[in-house]
Amino acid sequence: MLADLRYRLRALFRRAAVERELDAELRFHIEREMEKHVRSGLTWAEAEVRARREFGGHDVIREQARDARGVGWVDSVVSDVRYAWRSLRTRPAFAVGVVLTLGLGTGANAAMFGIVDRLLFRAPAYLWDAERVHRFYGTYLWNGALLTERSYEYRRYQDLQRSATAFDALAVAETRQVAVGSGEAMREMTVMIASASMFGMFDVRPVLGRFFTEAEDGLPVGESVVVLSHAYWQSTFGGRADALGQSISVGDGVYTVVGVAPAGFIGFSETEVPALFVPVTTFAWHTAPDFADHYGWSWLEIFMRRRPDVSVAAANADITRAYAQSWERQRDGATNFPTAADAAVRAEAGPVLLGRGPMAGPEAKVIAWVMGVAVIVLLVACANVVNLLLARSVTRRREVALRLALGVSRYRLVQQLMTETMLLAVLGGMVGLAAAQWGGRTVRSLFLQDDSLGAVAGDMRTLLFTAAITLLLALMTGLAPALQALRADVAGTLKAGGRDTGYRASALRSGLLLLQGVLSVVLLVGAGLFVRSLHNVRSLRLGYDIDPVVLVNATLRGVELDRAGAFALMDRVLEAAQAVPGVRLATPVVSVPFWSNEGRGPPHVPGRDSLARLGRFILQAGTPDYFDALGTRILQGRGFTSADRADAPPVTVVSQAMADALWPGMNAVGRQMRIGNDTMPFLTVVGVAEPMRGLRLENEAEYWYFLPLEQYRKLFRAPHGRLLVRVNGRAQDFVEALRARLQQEMPGSSYVTVMPLRTLVVPEQRAWQFGATMFLAFAVLALVLAAIGLYSVVAYAVAARTRELGVRIALGASLVAVARQVIGQGVYFAVAGIVLGGAIALAAARWVEPLLFDTPARDPLVFAVVTGILLVVALLATVRPALRATRVDPTVALRTE
Amino acid sequence: MPATHEQRAADAMTDRIDLPQGTLDLLILKSLSLGAQHGWAISERIRQVTGAALEVPQGSLYPALHRLERRGWIRASWGTSDNNRKAKYYQLTRVGTKQFAAGTAAWAKLTEAVQHVLRMA
Repeated sequence: MLADLRYRLRALFRRAAVERELDAELRFHIEREMEKHVRSGLTWAEAEVRARREFGGHDVIREQARDARGVGWVDSVVSDVRYAWRSLRTRPAFAVGVVLTLGLGTGANAAMFGIVDRLLFRAPAYLWDAERVHRFYGTYLWNGALLTERSYEYRRYQDLQRSATAFDALAVAETRQVAVGSGEAMREMTVMIASASMFGMFDVRPVLGRFFTEAEDGLPVGESVVVLSHAYWQSTFGGRADALGQSISVGDGVYTVVGVAPAGFIGFSETEVPALFVPVTTFAWHTAPDFADHYGWSWLEIFMRRRPDVSVAAANADITRAYAQSWERQRDGATNFPTAADAAVRAEAGPVLLGRGPMAGPEAKVIAWVMGVAVIVLLVACANVVNLLLARSVTRRREVALRLALGVSRYRLVQQLMTETMLLAVLGGMVGLAAAQWGGRTVRSLFLQDDSLGAVAGDMRTLLFTAAITLLLALMTGLAPALQALRADVAGTLKAGGRDTGYRASALRSGLLLLQGVLSVVLLVGAGLFVRSLHNVRSLRLGYDIDPVVLVNATLRGVELDRAGAFALMDRVLEAAQAVPGVRLATPVVSVPFWSNEGRGPPHVPGRDSLARLGRFILQAGTPDYFDALGTRILQGRGFTSADRADAPPVTVVSQAMADALWPGMNAVGRQMRIGNDTMPFLTVVGVAEPMRGLRLENEAEYWYFLPLEQYRKLFRAPHGRLLVRVNGRAQDFVEALRARLQQEMPGSSYVTVMPLRTLVVPEQRAWQFGATMFLAFAVLALVLAAIGLYSVVAYAVAARTRELGVRIALGASLVAVARQVIGQGVYFAVAGIVLGGAIALAAARWVEPLLFDTPARDPLVFAVVTGILLVVALLATVRPALRATRVDPTVALRTE
Repeated sequence: MPATHEQRAADAMTDRIDLPQGTLDLLILKSLSLGAQHGWAISERIRQVTGAALEVPQGSLYPALHRLERRGWIRASWGTSDNNRKAKYYQLTRVGTKQFAAGTAAWAKLTEAVQHVLRMA
């Protein structure tokens, strides 16, 4: 076996030497034979003739010896590839068309695959035994609503650690934007806050130093140690070993570097790339020293590694039991808190990947759809290429017949044709990878924060996927032409001589064309629906203006301020902000839409109960400038005035949705409600504001109520560190000016971060943005491919029917009639595509609708526009062949006979 | 295109190569069982022993030799021939010796069986 392999390898790679040896061997034989003949009396010349004749053809022997050496097939493949390359070069337009078509189809899929793989299939990098690692999801009934959560308290993590038995490791992790560094070098960075046990779930070793240990992640407070990501180590310390032992300010603490993680390690993060890793108990203690004592701070995601001998079902049962016990511990006998049984408490050891879990957002669904769309584009490309190859194989019929007549076996012929499509597919695959590498960057930036997460080239899985697609394409596109070659009628074709054997409309070609039309219509409808959704989501009135508003977030660090001091600081910051040129109005706030909303539970309204069941109540506070600064319209009553002081009667403004829910059919102005327990005063509703949205864009009841800032401070005595600032012009133009000015007000190492409000809203629109962009790009791609397909088929038909057209024109057919016939063919395909594709789109409406934003999946406008587009494209694709048909000169056409 | 005289001659020649499958291999192994030989000597030896009864086309010897070498039954090395020229010598390997014994036995069995059948008929 081994000897065989060695022999073949030598035959393959030292082929020149091997061939030389064979020649020497054969020459030796002939010479000895000649000597023998000469000895028996022949002349040298006669002896040579005789020896050579008896020996047989040199080339045949050499060929047979090559086969015997087991490398003959390599030669035939090499010569097939050369032949294919030559024949493609004779028709460069055809070759370039096919390669580009396949390249775009492959590229679309390769680009999408990278994202789909990361969000839905690929386990986090370095994860050890990924099938056994789960993310914790808890479900419970709360005020009649079934809620699923994945963010939990540190205390809960401890409870589960104590009671769960089905797991050999538990860990918590969370990424946050935290101020890193100090002074001018301070930047907000993604920091992973994790338990020391997290590292044990990964098959990973630090490239320098060590990871932090369980002892450094202890209670009540862990050590101030930090592990650097590889990228941060490179960018900040230039990859130097003396990074160990250095100090870095992270949030409120100063941490010592103990190690560096290897490149590509991002822990359990999915779309964010942490720069640093810090122990959870250290970080949490800086925020709230009592973090491990209560159930009041849900912020950590819990990860669990199932024991190898435990099934997923058993693990779910075990973790549900542990969660119920923890729930009872939290309840601690309280009567106003439902029991675990009443709350139907349940837990799930779910998939690690969020996109696969029970809380997957619309992105996961949209991305799966877009992947499907990419596959459809590939099908359209494939149909197109098959069509082109078929058209080519018709013109090559004579060549094929001639070669068959000359004794080339059909097997060899098919092998040769398949080699040609394989070559085309491989070239297409390479173009596709290039396209994915180049165009995919844009696509990825819509979904992944860091580009390095989704690079195409160098990613083994994407490369393998692309190779598999390429192979599949070669088989799919090569099959039809090869079968046609097998069926070739040798005698008939040769008898027909140089003339074409007449035009026959091929059912297969028409079918492929129709398929392209149908798929294009389906994609166009999808694109239209997503574009409409994006438009709707963008023009959705959220209850406030977005573009001219800037968010300022002040973070205290290294200073101790009492409440009065903190309020005074915010007043100074507000004053400074108002003085920045271009700023129109500014107000401190306690809630920021899509970022951080203050909830203090449902209000108490006389005569109403179970208000929590209605939905989420969000508390906002602001100065009398609030409503003007945010552009929030007051529909009834009034906003706040400077008279609404701390000592004035407490008032509130409610959003219209809240007014309708609390006082249905009544005038809300003048009604009373109370926040919190009965020691709190009643608030009088003085105004109703327009409906508000700050949690989710999709329909979900959100009830907002507003308090004058001074009354808020008096009632809740809670510090607040945020401003919303309305500027004249674009928000991003004021970010740096505001940051520079307000930073001067911050004491110690405290700092402000400033960003346009839009940056908080854009991620919420991402699913539709992505859907619209990708659907549109792919639909246009499919349409262009279909148009090329239609053009090539119609143009071919016109060329093949030149004689027939000549006869008809000679017999007096009007040019208009001829043109109409050609264009009619295109329109026929367009109409058939619209009808069939439209029917499919209508049927699929049920499944698409949940992905859309406020757009019916059977939107007549979309269908009408798509119909129009398809007809126009069909006309454009057929107009040139139609013109050519009218220019057929009957005398010339008939003379070619 | 009508078949030419040469073509028919070539066809006739290929007919003669048509020894029973594996027969040539066995003849080669037999020649080599007496010691290392170069290609021409193998061909001469087969010719001498079989005489006119079984003419082996000389050229077809070499593909067979290469096939046997690939299988590892024989080994090739360059040596000097009796008239002081470089020649490629083949010799049986241990596997080849075993295969030769097995092949001989199988051949004997086959011919015996065929003869048995022919005699009965």
